[in-house]
Amino acid sequence: MQPVIELDNLEVRFGERPILKKLNGALTGRAIGLLGPNGAGKSTLINTLLGFHQPFAGTARIFGKDIRTDAKAVRALLGYMPENDSFIAGMTGVHFVRLMAELSGLPPQQAMERAHEAFFWVGLGEARYRNLGTYSLGMKQMAKLAQAIAHGPKLLFLDEPTNGLDPPARARMIQLIQEIRDRGDLRLILSSHLLRDVDECCDEVLILKDGRIAASCNLEEERRANRKFLELETRGANGTFTAGIERLGCEAASFPDGRMKLVMPDGVEIRQLYALAAEQNVQIRRLNHKRDSLEDIFLKAMEVPNGGV
Amino acid sequence: MSDPRIVFDNVSRFYGEVLGVNRVNLAIPPGITSLVGPNGSGKTTLMNLMTGLIHPTRGSVTILGIPTGRPEELFRKMGYCTQFDAFPKGLTGYQFIYSFLLVHGMVESEAVRLTEEALERVSMTAAAGRPVAAYSKGMRQRIKLAQAIAHRPTVLVLDEPLNGLDPMARNETIALFKQWGGEGRHVIVSSHILHEVDRISDQVILLSHGYVVAEGQIHDVRSEVKDQPMQILVRCDKPGVLAARLFEKDNVVEAKVNSDGRGLLVRTRDADNLYLMLNRIVLDSGLDVDAVAPADDDVNSVYQYLIGGEGGTT
Amino acid sequence: MAVFKHAYKGYEGALTPAWSRFLILPRYAFAEKRRSRFFSLFFLVSILAPLIFALLIYVQHSLSAMKLLQIGSSNLITVNAAFFMNLLGWQSMMTLFLAAFVGPGQISPDLANNALPLYLSRPFSRAEYVLGKMSVLLILMSIMTWIPGLLLFILQASLEGNGWFGQNLRIAGAIFLGSWIWILFLSLLSLALSAWVKWKPMAGGLLFGSFFVAAGFGGAINAILRTSWGNLINISHLIGTVWTSLFERPMHRGSGAFFFRVHGGDVPTWCCWMALVLICAGCLYLLSHKIRGAEVVR
Repeated sequence: MQPVIELDNLEVRFGERPILKKLNGALTGRAIGLLGPNGAGKSTLINTLLGFHQPFAGTARIFGKDIRTDAKAVRALLGYMPENDSFIAGMTGVHFVRLMAELSGLPPQQAMERAHEAFFWVGLGEARYRNLGTYSLGMKQMAKLAQAIAHGPKLLFLDEPTNGLDPPARARMIQLIQEIRDRGDLRLILSSHLLRDVDECCDEVLILKDGRIAASCNLEEERRANRKFLELETRGANGTFTAGIERLGCEAASFPDGRMKLVMPDGVEIRQLYALAAEQNVQIRRLNHKRDSLEDIFLKAMEVPNGGV
Repeated sequence: MSDPRIVFDNVSRFYGEVLGVNRVNLAIPPGITSLVGPNGSGKTTLMNLMTGLIHPTRGSVTILGIPTGRPEELFRKMGYCTQFDAFPKGLTGYQFIYSFLLVHGMVESEAVRLTEEALERVSMTAAAGRPVAAYSKGMRQRIKLAQAIAHRPTVLVLDEPLNGLDPMARNETIALFKQWGGEGRHVIVSSHILHEVDRISDQVILLSHGYVVAEGQIHDVRSEVKDQPMQILVRCDKPGVLAARLFEKDNVVEAKVNSDGRGLLVRTRDADNLYLMLNRIVLDSGLDVDAVAPADDDVNSVYQYLIGGEGGTT
Repeated sequence: MAVFKHAYKGYEGALTPAWSRFLILPRYAFAEKRRSRFFSLFFLVSILAPLIFALLIYVQHSLSAMKLLQIGSSNLITVNAAFFMNLLGWQSMMTLFLAAFVGPGQISPDLANNALPLYLSRPFSRAEYVLGKMSVLLILMSIMTWIPGLLLFILQASLEGNGWFGQNLRIAGAIFLGSWIWILFLSLLSLALSAWVKWKPMAGGLLFGSFFVAAGFGGAINAILRTSWGNLINISHLIGTVWTSLFERPMHRGSGAFFFRVHGGDVPTWCCWMALVLICAGCLYLLSHKIRGAEVVR
């Protein structure tokens, strides 16, 4: 696939202070997660790609177009959903999105039609004639998403899209993001502190730390490679069960509440675990292949031993 | 020995005609308690009632035996971290915490010690000398937390404390909560991130439209929601065979094959029995099991059942 | 039966020409302004004066009307450079009120609600944003100043005949140029002030303040330091001087237009021009600093 973003020795400074230090790489995923601790430079990277900051040295290319020389052409392909509260006072929802779509170059009629469509698609159909000032936080987030997609961009920047949303709204936002990803003609960059959001939506991840790239990896491949790590939740198990598992050749770690983590070597099958459980009347209430590959990748990138819960 | 619980006795709170919370009865033991519910369900009202910042229109709130009408006693034991991003202007992080400690009536040397301890706990010692206005969102969140814990309160009330924190800071803060909860303190946390709530809470309170819809340990709450049989998802290569065997045993109420043909969603009234049966079935039928997961033994599902999708964009 | 699925679709159609996009902003602003009754009323009042003068000019040239009203052959009004300059002064004073009420509403709300990133993440530059917002004021102020002025000029010229047009062409040029100097200056000042303070009433107040308070300070400086260089911060003096030179009227204390009087003293005209240019440059600098997609925190 054509790389979405290519970073070419990109350096960004605020005055004397270097914020992004010689970033290099090419991102090709359909949905790219952008992670990093506070102060790593995530917002600065997004702002630079959007043209809000000028690079000090080096450059970047989006769909092959250079952000320094072709800035306007680049921005014609982008949609941006900012993290902070962002709207134009005194307008109704659909008026706002119409304005934004027209500013992106759509003719007035088309802008009007697409504004209405966008509102229905994000689930705000009922509220689109209401004043933006009366929207709740969740609605404002959806309105921000509507204005980001109404003009049909090729790359969408989502900055903390689930911020402040309550659980049903979060689920809906994640669902929308997954729909966008699955379409294929609209790529996205998701910057978030919530690893689970990134895990559910993204197939490639870029991790920044201190202005440098700490890790860049393909989540799909990672997930496929994790077939051998299992997590179990058991009830009724005791030391005998653990001993039995170890006799099969697995490495096992048990926790007091019945949780277990296993590494299965080649040749050992899940069925053998079940045989053991049937013998000892143990319930295997949960069984899955390791899920927190992303958390491990992130922590390893931060070079901090796993101090989580 | 005074009552270690937080007690709400038939509490209602109205703002003029607008409902905050209605007829709340709670007795919260020490440990980590999560408040969950859509925006506008009364979480902030409940927290304000707990900290004594507002008083109930009816009923009484008692914290560790102290009624909320006695703020001088209460605030010594209470720490509150709001969700709003407001700070007194012109202070550095250090001054912010230090001045609040002085207001508590501590001597300077004690205040200095506690300030430094609190800053250390949230890893903000390096940045403490800079003005709060220059902090990033995550740093402001941590300084707010430091201010809430500095005077080592017995009850910590935290409104969305992980908002804006990066994954490592989240883990560290959660570890801090677990430590405080383990020491017998109350840690009341409100959050929208349900899988984190699952991970950290000892008990959960669900709110909707100003009413307490459920409270207790999540597994207990789940088993009390009796009209809904438990859902369990089994990913395997022959879901049809599994379904047939299960129906033979007369345990399941409903079985649904997954849309990709490689899993079975089962509803049962007796989960324990189901798991034991599963062991046998796997062996006897030569099933290749990929994953097993209770589809609703967590906050998310209880939320769905009791509160549903009414929150969000309406 | 056909069932239609409504899902998100990309856009592959035609786009509007890039150069015209800044005009979207005034179009939306006017659509909103038309709904405000206060604004419509204000606008009507502001073109009252030119209408009255048009009537007077007509009457003056219409013998039958004169006989009807039993006015002697003496002139009702003298239509010369001073006339046009004073009309311009009156109309420009009205635009000051317009700028104070309409100007802040253009930029302050966008800054207060953090809307700039939404504008600037599109193929829309900062310059286009400022130009678009300024156009709202430029268009409204043009309708109030040089357009009626030139129309009256043409009316007078057509009724007077006799080569009056050719002799007084200089006046037309002065009307046009003088208006634009004022329009550009006031728009920039109004937008810069509303970018500086994000609160609308305060920005409007500052605009008035920059007139009257600065004039007061200028007078105080003159009195205390016994000089006349204080006039350089007196905006009505600056504009008055520039106009007086454009309309080729004698330059002395008290000359100039209604509301834009020359305050005398020996500050050369080119200094007044320079002062205006410097203030405009300062406004542009302030705007370029404030209108950004993202704050740079050092």
